[in-house]
Amino acid sequence: MYLDKVHKKKGVTKEGVAGFFMSFIPVLGFLIFGLIPMLLAIIMAFMNIRGFNFNGATWVGFNNFIEVLHDDMFWQSIVNTLYMSVSTFINIALSLIIAFLLSKNIKGKKVFRTIYFVPYVCSVAAITLMWTWIFNTRFGVVNNILKSWGMDPQDFDWFNDEDLFIPVLILMGVWSGTGYGIILYSAALTNVNSALYEAAKVDGANSFKSFLHITLPAISPTTFYLLIMGIIGALQEFARPQIISSSGGPNNVGVTVVFYLYRRGFTYFEMGPASATAWLLALAIVFVTIINFVVSKLWVNYDN
Amino acid sequence: MTTDNKEMLNADGTAVVNPDGTERELTQFELYQINKKKKGRKERAKRIISKVLIYLVLVIFALWILAPFSIVITTSFKTDGESGNLDFSFWPREFTFESYKAIFTYNAGGTGMPSVIRGFINTLIIVIPPTILGLFCSAMSAFAFAKLRFKGKNFWFSFLLFTMMIPGTIMLTPSFMIYSMIGWVDTPLPLMIPGMFGAATCVFFMRQFYAGIPSSLIEAAKLDGMGYFKIFWRIMVPLSVPALLAQGILGFIGGYNDYFGPLLYIRDPDWYTLQIALTSFKGTYSSKNSTMMAGSLIALIPTLVIYIVAQKYFIEGIATSGMKL
Repeated sequence: MYLDKVHKKKGVTKEGVAGFFMSFIPVLGFLIFGLIPMLLAIIMAFMNIRGFNFNGATWVGFNNFIEVLHDDMFWQSIVNTLYMSVSTFINIALSLIIAFLLSKNIKGKKVFRTIYFVPYVCSVAAITLMWTWIFNTRFGVVNNILKSWGMDPQDFDWFNDEDLFIPVLILMGVWSGTGYGIILYSAALTNVNSALYEAAKVDGANSFKSFLHITLPAISPTTFYLLIMGIIGALQEFARPQIISSSGGPNNVGVTVVFYLYRRGFTYFEMGPASATAWLLALAIVFVTIINFVVSKLWVNYDN
Repeated sequence: MTTDNKEMLNADGTAVVNPDGTERELTQFELYQINKKKKGRKERAKRIISKVLIYLVLVIFALWILAPFSIVITTSFKTDGESGNLDFSFWPREFTFESYKAIFTYNAGGTGMPSVIRGFINTLIIVIPPTILGLFCSAMSAFAFAKLRFKGKNFWFSFLLFTMMIPGTIMLTPSFMIYSMIGWVDTPLPLMIPGMFGAATCVFFMRQFYAGIPSSLIEAAKLDGMGYFKIFWRIMVPLSVPALLAQGILGFIGGYNDYFGPLLYIRDPDWYTLQIALTSFKGTYSSKNSTMMAGSLIALIPTLVIYIVAQKYFIEGIATSGMKL
């Protein structure tokens, strides 16, 4: 306490100077590469900009927003994005099941965990090329298996059929996304107070009941975290559909919101509408996150 | 009740047969013991069956994760002719390195180097300096936020936390405008410079780590006449090597696998990163599937090797911080 006071009395201490300069580089980085672009993004959303500089740019008020909100493609991109985000929920459920099984005193637990996590470190580009080959209509494994079962592979033109494009993407998402959830759930499950299980056993609860009433509430913060991160990530989906089909897939089913933004800004050189789209997406993300936090009070349990 | 072992149960196990052939009913205690034995056996069988089922599910799940890779590998050893043949087989009919030769001679750029090798070198040039410098800046900042007293500390730290919540998508268009106006587009600079200042997530993670180191260590070093930077460099950094490695590896793999950044900023094939070079094959080699799979495998190998070698740091780093790549 005494030392604290001494430090507070002096206006500029050696520690104060050192602390400021040592801590400041990441803050400075964000000010330059984050805050300035963010402020610029607000301005750009209200401008008509030709090309990638401000020469001849004019103020257009809310026109960019109105125009984007009246664009059917924008709304379709939202539907596409939401449809693809189904994989988030499958991932959470599946990774919980696997992590729960792994927590059952399993031999080779580490080996299993290592394998499950592999897709997570793989590059999106390589993984997407891999899946496009696996689901290749004429030569891919999947359709050859279907053929051997007597089906016509031409009926399953995965990436050229608007009804099949997104389901394959969801499958890809489940394949690559479960490892992350398994790791986080495994850590959470080992932290569940084992005395609770003993108590439940004494009270005559079977393992399903104790899973429902002890495990699930105890790991609910992890579920919440995975849900928030998963949804935020899913809303910004871009690379996989773009690599599969840079033109947006059959009937544009591959166009996500970020893909739409990319197209407007970097293919059609309409930076104004693209910036407006970015803000709409950011607002949607903030909105979904707030809703998540509000609803979480009902089901997330922080006193373990 | 006698404990004579000639005493036996009758055929349906409901009564005891005495040695002289007469029967008597089971006592309560004997009934209890018999039931317990039965129950124990039943429970053990149940436990074994459930263990087997658990292993079965875990193994099937592992196969589902690994199976796609096996297809990449076997395809990469086929000829392009065979992989483009309607007569499908899992194993290559003719085992060949042809597609690897093809991928290592494919050249999209102006210089003489094959695209894969140049892509790999470009990726290292673009990813390694920001990873190392950024890690240094983040760790130093984290140390200051965890252990030093200075004006505005809480404000700046909350400010950094706030930046973690901003969706990166917002920054796409304005950043591109700025980089375009200062002439950085079509150079690797937009992919390198921002990262050199460190990353908020890394600061946050390292701060948690440094907060756990006793302050008495710092006080002792101060008494020895060490300056704050020296304390950080000589004491804190050596103590935090595993955490730094975890963050460094995560940062490197994230940069190595990045697709959107290079897609936006790099148009010159001579500056293509490995990921962009790889997807550019898709256009050129759309019918050469074996070559494409060989390319994908080559792109995957470096991260897989790092992952397997350093998985301890990796998995712990993720489990404790919830870091996303």
